[in-house]
Amino acid sequence: MKNQPFVASLTLLSTLAATLVMPAAWAGPYDGYTLRVKLIGGEQYEPLYSVIPEWEKKTGAKVQIVSSKSHFELDRELKQDIASGKIDYCLFSNHTNFAAQYVTITRDLKPLVPADFVSKFSPRVIQQSTIKGKLLEIPRHSDISELYYNKKAYDDPANKAAYKAKFGKDLAPPQTWDEVAQQAKFFAKPPNFYGTQFAGKDEAITGRFYEMLVANGGQLFDKNFKPTFNSPAGVKSLNWFVDLYKSGAVPKGAPNYVWDDLGNGFASGTVALDLDWGGWASFFNDPKSSKIAGNVGIVRAPKGSSGKRTGWSGSHSFSITQSCDNPKAAADFLMFITGFDAQMLEARRGLMPTRLDAQQAALAEFKAKNETYLTEVFNTFAAGMREDSFTPPLIPEWVEVSNSIWPELQKAIVGDKTSKQALDDAAKKVEALMDDAGYYK
Amino acid sequence: MKLLRKLPPEARLLLPAFVVILVVVAVPLLFSLYTSFTSYRLVRPETIWNVVWFKNYIKLFGSSDFWWAFGRTVLFLTVVLNLEMLFGLALALLVNQVTRGQRMLRTIMMFPMMFSPVLVGFQFKFMFNDNIGIVNHILQNWFGVTQAIPWLVESHLAFFSLACAEIWNSTAVFAILLLAGLMAMPQDPLEAARVDGCTPWQAFRHVTLPFLMPFVYIAMTIRSLDVGRAFDIVKIMTNGGPAGRTELIWTLSARAGYEDARMGYANAMSYVAVLLSIAFTVHFFRKLNASRQFLNEVDA
Repeated sequence: MKNQPFVASLTLLSTLAATLVMPAAWAGPYDGYTLRVKLIGGEQYEPLYSVIPEWEKKTGAKVQIVSSKSHFELDRELKQDIASGKIDYCLFSNHTNFAAQYVTITRDLKPLVPADFVSKFSPRVIQQSTIKGKLLEIPRHSDISELYYNKKAYDDPANKAAYKAKFGKDLAPPQTWDEVAQQAKFFAKPPNFYGTQFAGKDEAITGRFYEMLVANGGQLFDKNFKPTFNSPAGVKSLNWFVDLYKSGAVPKGAPNYVWDDLGNGFASGTVALDLDWGGWASFFNDPKSSKIAGNVGIVRAPKGSSGKRTGWSGSHSFSITQSCDNPKAAADFLMFITGFDAQMLEARRGLMPTRLDAQQAALAEFKAKNETYLTEVFNTFAAGMREDSFTPPLIPEWVEVSNSIWPELQKAIVGDKTSKQALDDAAKKVEALMDDAGYYK
Repeated sequence: MKLLRKLPPEARLLLPAFVVILVVVAVPLLFSLYTSFTSYRLVRPETIWNVVWFKNYIKLFGSSDFWWAFGRTVLFLTVVLNLEMLFGLALALLVNQVTRGQRMLRTIMMFPMMFSPVLVGFQFKFMFNDNIGIVNHILQNWFGVTQAIPWLVESHLAFFSLACAEIWNSTAVFAILLLAGLMAMPQDPLEAARVDGCTPWQAFRHVTLPFLMPFVYIAMTIRSLDVGRAFDIVKIMTNGGPAGRTELIWTLSARAGYEDARMGYANAMSYVAVLLSIAFTVHFFRKLNASRQFLNEVDA
């Protein structure tokens, strides 16, 4: 106890030294810097941002979120930023479908992000993030749609017997789009129950048509960017939607549906089959939000007549601006929020990670916890991303092309035009806008 | 400064107001007018200098999609304004009869106006959803309807659904203005009409209504400007679809400007929409002056 004053003095001295000396030693590499970012907002995406304080603590920098909006709103805002030339932020949320529009403001990430970091990601997703040799975005998570089905409808003995009697085959989740149509009509008992549904407006229907077109062996453009979607494969694809709509196998409001309507419709238990995004998987199996929780099945997206599967896909991602005053700090932040831990945080919430190591680790966790549903979901979506995924053409005019196509698709679906007329008219509009944009010089 | 001194004092006093209006209103207007003669695209800012003269307008006037949207906007304006006027008048007459709790009724009457049009759009979109919407649910469960009615798809029904949302949101504007007119109305002419043996309908038709007409036209002018730029509700409920069946000038223009980034073309379209609104405003102002002149002649 004699040493007590000495120990007390030593402690006091150490505390003083720590107070005076340590801040300099602890200061992070970007101490005092404020990183301005524009991020996608929404319930699904914001949990990731809870890791931001960790990066701030590690680096000494501050992250200032100057905008937090849905992707479509953010897209409009970014276009206005480009127009006004006011790009006073360093990092922004991007998307494969939109990235080509922002080429003039986006930095090539290859010199900023080490190759061994990039190699952790799915090669196909990295390829889809690269335009004219420049890596413009690092993907955060990927979306591809797969076929959810209502097990109650498929396990019902009466349905099984009726299907066998009618078609001579056992009732099982469909493998082809022809089978989807056949089963959708079989299940439909409007207005109480529908065979399937589809998003019928905006880019959603263009995308659905596009993936059906590819599955049937068609393409949107030839190599000179002349529209070719008004081909026999295009007519066959559009007829699929027209036929199901006319037959009453899909809800009458489908031409006005987008993702929320589809998600809520399938969760209400009134639809047998639903081609939908991975982000809905947890929602469908949650008793608080879904009447079919515990009865959700999932299979790969069906094949078209060419034997290819449907696979329109895109990734949510982050990009760094050309005008960024501290690209190193921005790249550091980007690598932090697309790193393994950050991707695991999103994967546990059902979002498909773009890093292969996170995909494998998430699957291992689900298996260890005996979460068979999420295991099945991840296996199905991972296979789809690996083998079937493709993006729309990575050109700045994509949104405009889509806006020229979808109103014409709707005209065929609601019966105002034949499929051939509608596709020919859409092709004329697309050709005119591509000509305006200088593709045929 | 010499030039300023030469101006009469009233002009010098008004000058700051003119400068503010010039900066806040005239400059953006002139700028957007200029861009309507260019091939300006938001994502290619340099195109703002690419003057194409009347190309955007020629393209616009040759587009059947635009003319359909134009016609539909005129029809929407006409239907919505007239129905709002009728419902607003009915509401105002009913509330005017109430002697107790009128203040509370007036407040309740104004509730729909307090909702943002975006929120109203979402509410009506979900109410009219053919599969999970409450309207079809009620029709199917209480009234034995066996079909899912496509409220937001079939062209007449979609027009009706949008009109319902717009009318619900804004009928109160008419009701409040007409109620103010009823409350300000002198009672002598009405009593004289009763003494002369007029029926209630005759008193309303020949005394109350002429007195209310200036209020009707003021409300019409205000609402025609609002409905003429109807966007939020239509954007949320149908986004102009399906198949362009509910496309109005502003949904078409917003898509061209902000989604397709073709701001020059969108501004050309906007100028046509502005001219349409001006035409409606001029029409209602003329009607307003005529109705005021009629009242003055009656007084004289």
